[in-house]
Amino acid sequence: MSSIEGGRSDPDGRADPLHDLRTFVDELEAWLVTGPATLDAARAPIPSFAERVEVMSRLMADLHDAGWARYGWPESLGGLGGTIVHRAAMWDALARRGVAGMALFEHLEVLAPTLVALGPRDFVVRALPAFLSGRELWAQGFSEPEAGSDLASLRTRAVAADGGFIVNGRKIWTSWARYATWCLLLTRTGTPESRHRGLTALIVDLRSRGVEVTTIVQANGTDELAEVVFDDVFVPADRIVGQLDGGWAVAMHILSSERGTFAWFRHCFLYQHLREHLDHGDAGNDFGLGGALLDLVAVTATSHDGLRSHEAGVPLGPRATFTKLLLCAAEQAVNDWILDADADLAVGVQDAATAMRRQEYLFSRIVTVYGGSQQMQLETIAKQALGLP
Amino acid sequence: MTAGTPRSFEGDDEFLAAACAAASRSSGADALETLGWWDLLPELDDPDARAAVFAVFRAQGRSLTGSIALGALMAHPYPVPGDRQPGSVAAAVTRRSLRRGTVVLVVGDVPSELLLVDRPGVGASLVPVADVDLLRVEIPGRLALHEVVVDLDAAPISVPEVDAAPARRRSHALGRMAMSLEMLGAAEATLALAVEHVQAREQFGKPIGSFQAIRHLLAWARTDCAAVEAVARHAVALDRVAPTGFDEILKALAGRNARRACERTLQSFGGVGFTAEHDHHHFHSRVLALDSLLGTSSELTRELGARLRTSGSDPAIAAGVLVPVDAR
Repeated sequence: MSSIEGGRSDPDGRADPLHDLRTFVDELEAWLVTGPATLDAARAPIPSFAERVEVMSRLMADLHDAGWARYGWPESLGGLGGTIVHRAAMWDALARRGVAGMALFEHLEVLAPTLVALGPRDFVVRALPAFLSGRELWAQGFSEPEAGSDLASLRTRAVAADGGFIVNGRKIWTSWARYATWCLLLTRTGTPESRHRGLTALIVDLRSRGVEVTTIVQANGTDELAEVVFDDVFVPADRIVGQLDGGWAVAMHILSSERGTFAWFRHCFLYQHLREHLDHGDAGNDFGLGGALLDLVAVTATSHDGLRSHEAGVPLGPRATFTKLLLCAAEQAVNDWILDADADLAVGVQDAATAMRRQEYLFSRIVTVYGGSQQMQLETIAKQALGLP
Repeated sequence: MTAGTPRSFEGDDEFLAAACAAASRSSGADALETLGWWDLLPELDDPDARAAVFAVFRAQGRSLTGSIALGALMAHPYPVPGDRQPGSVAAAVTRRSLRRGTVVLVVGDVPSELLLVDRPGVGASLVPVADVDLLRVEIPGRLALHEVVVDLDAAPISVPEVDAAPARRRSHALGRMAMSLEMLGAAEATLALAVEHVQAREQFGKPIGSFQAIRHLLAWARTDCAAVEAVARHAVALDRVAPTGFDEILKALAGRNARRACERTLQSFGGVGFTAEHDHHHFHSRVLALDSLLGTSSELTRELGARLRTSGSDPAIAAGVLVPVDAR
């Protein structure tokens, strides 16, 4: 396998799992068999997102204490070394043990790699362990009411002030904002016409004076999205991620994770979702089940390539876009089959498990919008992979 | 018209480029010689040699050429007595015809000496080519296809069932991987033609490749190719350590996606793509022919679903299993 730098014993003095991913997985799986009580809690169907975040935060605290959640993150920032492949293996193992999803910790794989690569070190060295242990969570503030696919037109302004910036503006579709302590916020520091050249990524404390988070209840009944208004919010100068006016590069770094490597993590749970419902199906819908399997395997292969590229520090480029499209297709195929196999999610009594199926099914209809709409992804491929004008 | 050379597909490497060049310059037999393919074949357990062995099929798909490679590859797992020259033995492929029952086919060049015909539950026979009649199957695709007329009940069993059974599983797995890569190559090549076409063809005063409807059609075709390429590369790299049935997953995906890519590119060609003069139908017909052998995409997809549902057997590649991909 590709080399992983810097091995050492984990907190319990077990054999060094960094040199051998299989050993890492075997030891983690053994640990999970008698895992903490918080693991059992995370395996139950929990329709409430507030409760789900709470349960997952407690599980993450235990995984952090035991060391598992620290693998894959740099030792200099509170991790135990290793690479994204260790994280990929950890979440794969959790999915196989029946954990239903990452909840807010999806942002660990969307935002944290960029914080590690481009964030202010003194801040990240404290913030990363707090995130990994579930104590302080993160939201991502990109989209605005007038800036969706055209992200470079965003208008939330950050103006230099004594010791930092004053931020004014409005973000929307900000996932998990009501549960988060921190927001990685894309702001305009250049002129209104500066487009992608005049953006700066700031870390904003959502507890600050002038921040107002309004929950958006979604069509599937969940409420992890929010509108966030910033009214003269002060942000200290040392909270810049990347460079001043270099926010576009930060955004692209994040989107590369969100479209490329994140797919691995999400598809592990889609596999689990499919496996858990196998007894619902019959011979009449085996073709749909097999088709969903094909779509999932395509994500396994392309997102694994993404993990390895990320590990090697090679930019994914348009390959992240293929992975994003394939993940959406897989998510819809899995949920199509689940609906096909049992229409209770459409017309049945909504017990916790059925309610979860309904949430997931409906959410799978909107996955082609978030993280870059499907039409924008297809344009990226047309330009960058096909060379069309 | 000749096939365009697709640029910048994933997994393209020097050997694939050489294979494409050799395939389009010379006959199938000469191309295999040039590439040293016969020296690579016995080294299938070496990951680099294996990748090169399979790259030839992707090249054949792209260049609409053929050789004895598929039959030789599929014969390779069987214990065949004697010291044989390259090209002297090839395995036939059997399929069920709705009207005529079991049909024995030679895909690609006919071997010079022996045809290996395997029958599940019975064993494999080595039939001298001189003793059979070969009926050429006339379909587009520039794919040599022959139906074998042979009285199998009269043919002696050369490899008894006890040895033939494991060899058959391996032979089918190798054959499915090879056909998947050939379908991928064909889909990639007709996509490359489509990309050229939509940049040149103008309507309403501009290239049709500037219209999003067309761009997105081809972007989907490109995504379908990227999926097959990635899964095929993993299948070839993992080979024997891949989960059981991974060759069927690959072929089901390759058949579905390559057919879909051919349909999308045909739409972008317009009427000219449906003419005998245009190469598109050769790529499309080759995909259809290969999809129909060793399990169609539809059959395999349904069977994979049934197997997953009834046995719960886990077809996923766990993160830990992916390690060997990087061991090469």
